[in-house]
Amino acid sequence: MEKLILKVEDLYYKYGNGKSALDGVNVDIYEGEKIAVLGSNGSGKSTFFLNVDGVLKPEQGKIIYRGTVINKKNLNELRKNIGIVFQDADNQIIASTVKAEVGFGPMNLKLPKEEVLKRVEEALAYMNISDLKDRPPHYLSGGEKKRVSIADIIAMKSEVIIFDEPTAALDPLNALMLEDVLLKLESEGKTMLISTHDVDFAYRWAERVIVFSHGKIIADGTPLEIFQNKEVLKQANLKPPTLLEIYESLVEKYLLEDNKAYPKSIQEFKKIIEK
Amino acid sequence: MGKIIILSAIFFMVVFFFKWKHKDEHTHEGKIHNRHHKIGHKHGEGYSIDFYAYTSKIRHWNATFKVSLSVLTLILCIIFDNPYVSAVVIIAMAYLIIVKGDLSVHMYLSILAIPIVFILVGTFTIAIDFSKQPMGEYNLYLGFCYVFTSKVKLKAVSFLILKVFAAISALQMMTLSTPSTEIIYVLRKAHIPKLIIELMSLIYRYIFILMDIYTKMKNSAESRLGYCDFKTSWYTFGSIASNMLVISLNKANSYYDAMEARCYDGNLIFLEEDKKVEIIQIVAAAVFIIFLIFLWGFTR
Repeated sequence: MEKLILKVEDLYYKYGNGKSALDGVNVDIYEGEKIAVLGSNGSGKSTFFLNVDGVLKPEQGKIIYRGTVINKKNLNELRKNIGIVFQDADNQIIASTVKAEVGFGPMNLKLPKEEVLKRVEEALAYMNISDLKDRPPHYLSGGEKKRVSIADIIAMKSEVIIFDEPTAALDPLNALMLEDVLLKLESEGKTMLISTHDVDFAYRWAERVIVFSHGKIIADGTPLEIFQNKEVLKQANLKPPTLLEIYESLVEKYLLEDNKAYPKSIQEFKKIIEK
Repeated sequence: MGKIIILSAIFFMVVFFFKWKHKDEHTHEGKIHNRHHKIGHKHGEGYSIDFYAYTSKIRHWNATFKVSLSVLTLILCIIFDNPYVSAVVIIAMAYLIIVKGDLSVHMYLSILAIPIVFILVGTFTIAIDFSKQPMGEYNLYLGFCYVFTSKVKLKAVSFLILKVFAAISALQMMTLSTPSTEIIYVLRKAHIPKLIIELMSLIYRYIFILMDIYTKMKNSAESRLGYCDFKTSWYTFGSIASNMLVISLNKANSYYDAMEARCYDGNLIFLEEDKKVEIIQIVAAAVFIIFLIFLWGFTR
């Protein structure tokens, strides 16, 4: 069994206007997991992320990171180890050059300057944007800004990385780039949480799917379990992944034998039908 | 001293001739410019000055060096109050920006054209005076009073123009070769209060974000006939302005969240690096300053 990295117990959060955003959330996250967080707009995903990162203070509930309960004193420990790539890069990029931007997190960690520089160089090389290093963010394209915002978090070397709807504003090429980066991060053993509306992506990529609805987690399991559960899909207003639907309808019409070998990618699907 | 008046007159004539000659090329060149840097936006002069600073060939020079050179030159211009010094400064700064910084002459002149207008309007009122009786060396009867001026006054005014122009070109050298972030960095090193420095960096970043939002809102309003007549335009402008306020508050909130998520603890510190300053640059600058001092000494 993998090690428990983050435990969220009975989390409640209310916004200033009295609207409850999180309504008793319990979840355990283990080292190296790849989790897709699904749910319609306003179901509490982003609020959950901000709570988990210690930016928003929960009304009630505990966040336990590697066995230590997070309180005011060790809040920065949590922020150091959990990084969020925000949905809108323009809301995240604060500095006026790419280098200063990527260095912002490490500088806040109070690292020595040489170490900061080293990390910045590494993170820029990682995201393949070393040549943008002296450019100001306002002359970058959307895809480039996204890369910068991911490099921000990579430079902080956090163990858990949260992506808030990373594919929302990306063209297909940049979305592909993002998936490459995710693969690379996975090979480094990072724990990742990605909120998305792209069920095909969630089905293909995730090991575990968490579904939010009205501030509660209504389902938590493997992608297959979740996407075959009509009840959950209906409640969260999700549609099943295309590939899964095709496979199931082919099985239903006896065009394929039902050996439960659910394909996750087009390649896998092709292999099955070529047999 | 009469020669100087003629000299400065010639200088301005050359400037305006250049401007006039390039006027018809303007649209053409503008197109090339836009095609050339795809990343550049097209929002007006403020944007392009910022953009020129990033593309300048002398951007890699040490920022502290550039800022101190420009400020020192500016101070010398003002305390020497000497037309020869001013003329040398104008030429030297133009050389730095155009030849070393590789900014086209046309761009440089169009940027300088803005202050030139102000200088001319401002100094014109100093040069002339009104009176009931004909007086001065040159006067013009307007029917009810005389407008008059004298050689001394004209000379004083042209020296003033030269001085102001030199001061402006010294500062322009700084703004056209040093991006704002680096200027802010220099100010930080000069121990300007932290609050002001942090505000400057945030405001600088924010200008572009708000500008972007404004452009988007304006375009969407335009596509819905928001500017079809004068009254509607005013109404649309007002709505956009109030909406901008709400959006900027929202943005400030989400920015704060994003900063907190990256361990922001009340001190806004950015990664900054010193660029190497070459000895030859310091020597050249020192020679230039000493030359100005000597020039002032000999022509006093």
